[in-house]
Amino acid sequence: MNNVIECNNLTHYYGKKLVYENLNFQVKEGSILGLLGKNGAGKTTTINILHGFLQPRSGECLIFGENTQHLTPDTKSRIGFLIEGHVQYAFMDIHQIEKFYSGFYPKWNNKPYWELMSKLKVTPKQKISTMSCGQKSQVALGLILAQDPDLLILDDFSMGLDPGYRRLFIDYLREYAKAGNKTIFTTSHIIQDMERLIDDVLIMDYNRVLAQSPVNEFMTNFKQFNFETDKTDVNLFKEDFIVNIDIIKNKVELYTYKSESFIKDFLNKKNISYNNFIETKMGLEDAFIGLTGKY
Amino acid sequence: MLKSVVFKEWLKVRWFLVILTLIGVIAAGNIFLKVQHYITFQEANKYWYRILFENVQYFRYLKLVPLLIGLTIAVAQYIPEITSRRIKLTFHLPINENKILLLMLGFGVVILLISYAIIFSIFFGLSNHYFAKEMVQAAIISVTPWFLAGFAAYFMATLIIMEAIWKYRMVYFITACAFISLYFEYSIAGGYGPVNLKLSLLTLLVSVSLLFSAYRFRKGEI
Repeated sequence: MNNVIECNNLTHYYGKKLVYENLNFQVKEGSILGLLGKNGAGKTTTINILHGFLQPRSGECLIFGENTQHLTPDTKSRIGFLIEGHVQYAFMDIHQIEKFYSGFYPKWNNKPYWELMSKLKVTPKQKISTMSCGQKSQVALGLILAQDPDLLILDDFSMGLDPGYRRLFIDYLREYAKAGNKTIFTTSHIIQDMERLIDDVLIMDYNRVLAQSPVNEFMTNFKQFNFETDKTDVNLFKEDFIVNIDIIKNKVELYTYKSESFIKDFLNKKNISYNNFIETKMGLEDAFIGLTGKY
Repeated sequence: MLKSVVFKEWLKVRWFLVILTLIGVIAAGNIFLKVQHYITFQEANKYWYRILFENVQYFRYLKLVPLLIGLTIAVAQYIPEITSRRIKLTFHLPINENKILLLMLGFGVVILLISYAIIFSIFFGLSNHYFAKEMVQAAIISVTPWFLAGFAAYFMATLIIMEAIWKYRMVYFITACAFISLYFEYSIAGGYGPVNLKLSLLTLLVSVSLLFSAYRFRKGEI
């Protein structure tokens, strides 16, 4: 399977502040990749580099084999772009904006656009600037679907949306992507939404990549164990296999890629008594917090 | 593609264009209401004498009109583009970034040309009605820098608006003020004759300054 996006040795600084160094990742054709990270971890920086709005200090990103700093119009026509906050030309109404974009894209198909617009309770002459966030999101999504791109890059698509519109957005998007073998690269600050949408996950922390794998694989391999212990003075933070640990009084919350038996063996070897040892089932958001920490 | 660009730009500027051109037409009309007034109450020969030998510039009310139009069209066209960084949408369209900026700029220039042509035609026609050919010629030489200033103000305003860092905006603003003031130096009617060509070339020189801010935006410098 071909890589639609390929970023190699990406390094970027804002002034002297390092955003990341030698970041590498790929997005395969037909997959939906979610980029997760805390605020300031470099999600928007990555999106800006992918769009060619930011020149990285070193390294390169390729989309359909072209450097994103010099995308040709043909390649740009194959990329659908959703700006954070569903920004669109707010001085237009839904007819005007459809007419405007249709002049740029050879594969323009307005059927999905009008299908979505029919669900909105807006008047034909209503300016986009007067619409709610949810309505704006549907306009932005409808325009992308009508463009019929091969790759969709979505920057925080859930921003400002209520649960109903978020669900509508995700369901439409996933259905569209899977039916047409489309590739999606997306960020969102609401991780439960990502769980319904993405196939692969890329989790970034300050300066580094913490995980990149198919979501199912990540959720199977990354585990949370809870137990109680009397030996709270043992320093477990330095153990390599412990990704994250929270100790509150005698309650321990431990995140790791190792198995239950491995952890129990370790605790026995170190003479750390434990009881009520359980593996806690996690959602993607729990796993994200487990991996990146609460702070 | 061109039709779509024109459509978008037209939606942004249409009302501003109509209202400002109307203001320009009213300003031009007002000049000749005053001219008629002076001719009626001071006698034509006395009024002509004042124009010819006392440097009375009957067209002075037109002075800032092209500048106002140029600035307003720039604001109407480019403020919506930088609001919420909407220019990203424009740069993402399947067309070369510089090409679309030049198309937008070209649209602005055509719109200004149309607006100025309407105002200028009224001014020229009525001037010919009231004054001798030589007087009209001198007046045209005098108002030409004001119209050129309208274009220069439009070009420099695009540079300032598209720049996202206020510090640089201020630098550009001060530079623009100094530059634009060249078009408004006091002079006798027709006095700008020797420099109008040079002013036109200067105006052409700043015409693509927008591309500089846009380049900085695309490279993430702002």
